[in-house]
Amino acid sequence: MSRASQWIAIVVVAVLALLPFVPGAVDAYYFSFLFFVFLYAVMAQSWNLVAGYGGQISLGSHAFFGLGAYTTAILWSGNYLWGSLYDSHPNIYYFDPVTMLLGGLVAAIAAVVIGLPLLSKLHGDYFALGTLGFGEIVKVIFVNGGDFTGGAFGIVAPASSFGTLRPHYWVGLGLMVATALAIRMLMRSRYGLALIAVRDDEMAASANGIDTLKVKVAAFAGSAFIAGVAGSLYTFYIFHVGPDSVFDLDWMLLPLMMTVVGGTGTILGPILGALVMYAVFDLARIVVPDYHPVISGLTIILAMLFLPKGMMRLSRKARVAGA
Amino acid sequence: MANRLLEVSDLEVAYGDVGALWGVSLHVDPGTIVALVGANGAGKTTLLRTVSGLLKPKAGDIRLSGQSLVGKQPQEIARLGIAHVPEGRGLFRQMTVLENLELGAFQPKARPRTKELLEKAYTLFPRLKERAQQKAGSLSGGEQQMLAIARATMSEPSLLILDEPSLGLSPLVVQQMFSLIQTLHGQGVTILLVEQNIHQALKVADYAFVLKTGSLAMQGTGADLIADPEIQKAYMGVLE
Amino acid sequence: MVNLPPPEILLQLSLNGALGGAMYGVAAVGLSLIFGTMRLIFLAQGAMIILAAYFVRALFYGLGIDPFLSLLIVVPVGLVVGWLIYQGLFRKAAAEEDRNVSLLIAVGLMFLVQNLMTVIWGGNTAGVVTSYTASGIELLGVRTSFTRSMGFLIALAGTGLVILFLRKTIVGKAVRAASEDMDAATLMGISPHRVNAIAFAIGISLAGAAGVAVATTFPFNPFAGFIFSLKALVALALGGIGNVTGALAGGILLGLIEAYVQFFISGGWTNAIAYGVFLLVLMFKPEGLFSRPYKKA
Repeated sequence: MSRASQWIAIVVVAVLALLPFVPGAVDAYYFSFLFFVFLYAVMAQSWNLVAGYGGQISLGSHAFFGLGAYTTAILWSGNYLWGSLYDSHPNIYYFDPVTMLLGGLVAAIAAVVIGLPLLSKLHGDYFALGTLGFGEIVKVIFVNGGDFTGGAFGIVAPASSFGTLRPHYWVGLGLMVATALAIRMLMRSRYGLALIAVRDDEMAASANGIDTLKVKVAAFAGSAFIAGVAGSLYTFYIFHVGPDSVFDLDWMLLPLMMTVVGGTGTILGPILGALVMYAVFDLARIVVPDYHPVISGLTIILAMLFLPKGMMRLSRKARVAGA
Repeated sequence: MANRLLEVSDLEVAYGDVGALWGVSLHVDPGTIVALVGANGAGKTTLLRTVSGLLKPKAGDIRLSGQSLVGKQPQEIARLGIAHVPEGRGLFRQMTVLENLELGAFQPKARPRTKELLEKAYTLFPRLKERAQQKAGSLSGGEQQMLAIARATMSEPSLLILDEPSLGLSPLVVQQMFSLIQTLHGQGVTILLVEQNIHQALKVADYAFVLKTGSLAMQGTGADLIADPEIQKAYMGVLE
Repeated sequence: MVNLPPPEILLQLSLNGALGGAMYGVAAVGLSLIFGTMRLIFLAQGAMIILAAYFVRALFYGLGIDPFLSLLIVVPVGLVVGWLIYQGLFRKAAAEEDRNVSLLIAVGLMFLVQNLMTVIWGGNTAGVVTSYTASGIELLGVRTSFTRSMGFLIALAGTGLVILFLRKTIVGKAVRAASEDMDAATLMGISPHRVNAIAFAIGISLAGAAGVAVATTFPFNPFAGFIFSLKALVALALGGIGNVTGALAGGILLGLIEAYVQFFISGGWTNAIAYGVFLLVLMFKPEGLFSRPYKKA
């Protein structure tokens, strides 16, 4: 990124951060729109880490998102974390960093447990299929989890007075910026180089002394961690965490699509893709409410037919060609 | 010049940003065996794969009987008369020997004559007739190589390209392989042969080109190159 | 001691499981063909099956055409639609190295078809009720549904025809060759686009046949297709990816597993156990349960 675009990024983030102070902004439609863009951008980054940079197509992100959401709802509704402090501070679980980190951690641990056997045994499409199967298994386990998971209905978090979306918005923005920066730093580190090496040529990477399994599992776990934290944030928005809502395949398919449309293996691609695709979906929902999922399907197809490399790649190519 | 079957001029090929061939020119005259030799990584396989359309050249031209092949798909080039036996043989291992041979005559020109061509292939490779119903993957290494060559001849190509036919075969089978190449030559088949077994290759070749790290280092008749002290020192010292 | 139920119950379970599983099988055969040449997980296959089921239903209630007779319409239409889907949607993507693109087009197609169906026919569960829907027949001394048995026959016949095509015709052999090694196939003069289009045409016409079977046996809704795709994937992995006979057998096996789990454990765990088996097979026998290894040279 050039110095100029760094400044542009800082200004954009600052404007977004100050937006809630604009009178009326919080009640405006675009406010919740932006919150969802942030949430999807985080999910897209999560997928991009394992698939775009790591080259391992995972079709199980929704499982990690759901694990984060359920972890949060269970900790909260059972008050497993803050004991008597909860009585004096009824809002203590809201955006509680410990709760959110635990959401990510549970997802990451699940990713290590499932990733070790899957990634050591399966390659390419087989890994993709395996993660898809894993996602379905996790969902069924939660449906059958009895009182602990609330069965097919799920868990309703004991939401108290929190009438504004402001904190959701800020946390969402913060998460989006933090994941982007963290992945950017990661990809410039030795680990990032190793990850790229494994993606481009696993044999060669292994011959150069890289522990490819460790590198791949770490990317998978990192991706799961990000998805888990995003799921946790979603719980503070939706309150009712059920198997059909947080394990919905859309939590995997949409971020995947956004990343590919924005540009896989780039930092800004997932953010740009989330913004554009969510805008298209939302616009379709408002303008042609009966047909909006049809339009979504059509958009994906058209984007893939005419923008198969994603928007970031396209602009990069144009720049190279122009230079 | 007008008589050349294959004419490669100033060919440049790159994998991404990494160059593999830098302006290579060579030619094959009808009815000859031409050997392309050189060390590992010199670009021999790259050149063959570019000729048959599996790789796209960055610059330069490839002509078959005067017609340019650049920009054509591999299946189109196959139909124009080039049969390429790739490195690793490219057999359909799960399919039977017979099915592999039938697919050799897949293209429209040869398909109606599949039966006749099959008989011809069986006379040249009687072993394959015995094994017709066996899966290609179950054959021995030598038999697999025979099958790959037999399959390539099923389309009666004007140019037969062989990439390392002796790779991984025992010395005895390598001998059989080279005498087979000469038999095919005797039947008027034009052959472009890539080999690491340089001595053998130069012995059967009418003409040969030496590739060195992506560029043409030398050319001459097979007999001339065998006698060349530099060639002997660089490539055959270890082998002989 | 585990109390085994009486043998006639076991037989009934096996029969029901096998008959239902054959439908996963026929969907898996289509997936197998498409995966074979294009290395694409065609996630929209289930949606295409449901689309065919709605089409069969429309033919029945609109024009009075018997669902089984409509095979004569649905299968050829499927061939044409499959060909068009390839040429219109996947031809360009097939040339790309990045296979995410084709996968996403399949996902987009799935969304599109699902939601078009919702717009046209509504999101409620639909079905086809004929004079023989409730009738049963005697099979192996067990009474079973007539329509399910017909569905089984359709699955067998469809798979049989595909196998004949792949084994006996030169074009079918070209499809198999391309599935095994696309580069080597092009060197034989085989056009990748042609074999891909053929795989798609056959895959979608099989979806049409499966649609007839689904329409006559199950109630369905526009979103039932995705689960069907997943089940077909499981069947595919059980049978060995790229093995057509195995795909059908994998479907039947999956149907059996589901029937037994449902009876002996609980309906709620059926999917988890099915996917668990799927993961285990992927990891420990990725070539599938039914592949015959040949002697290596």
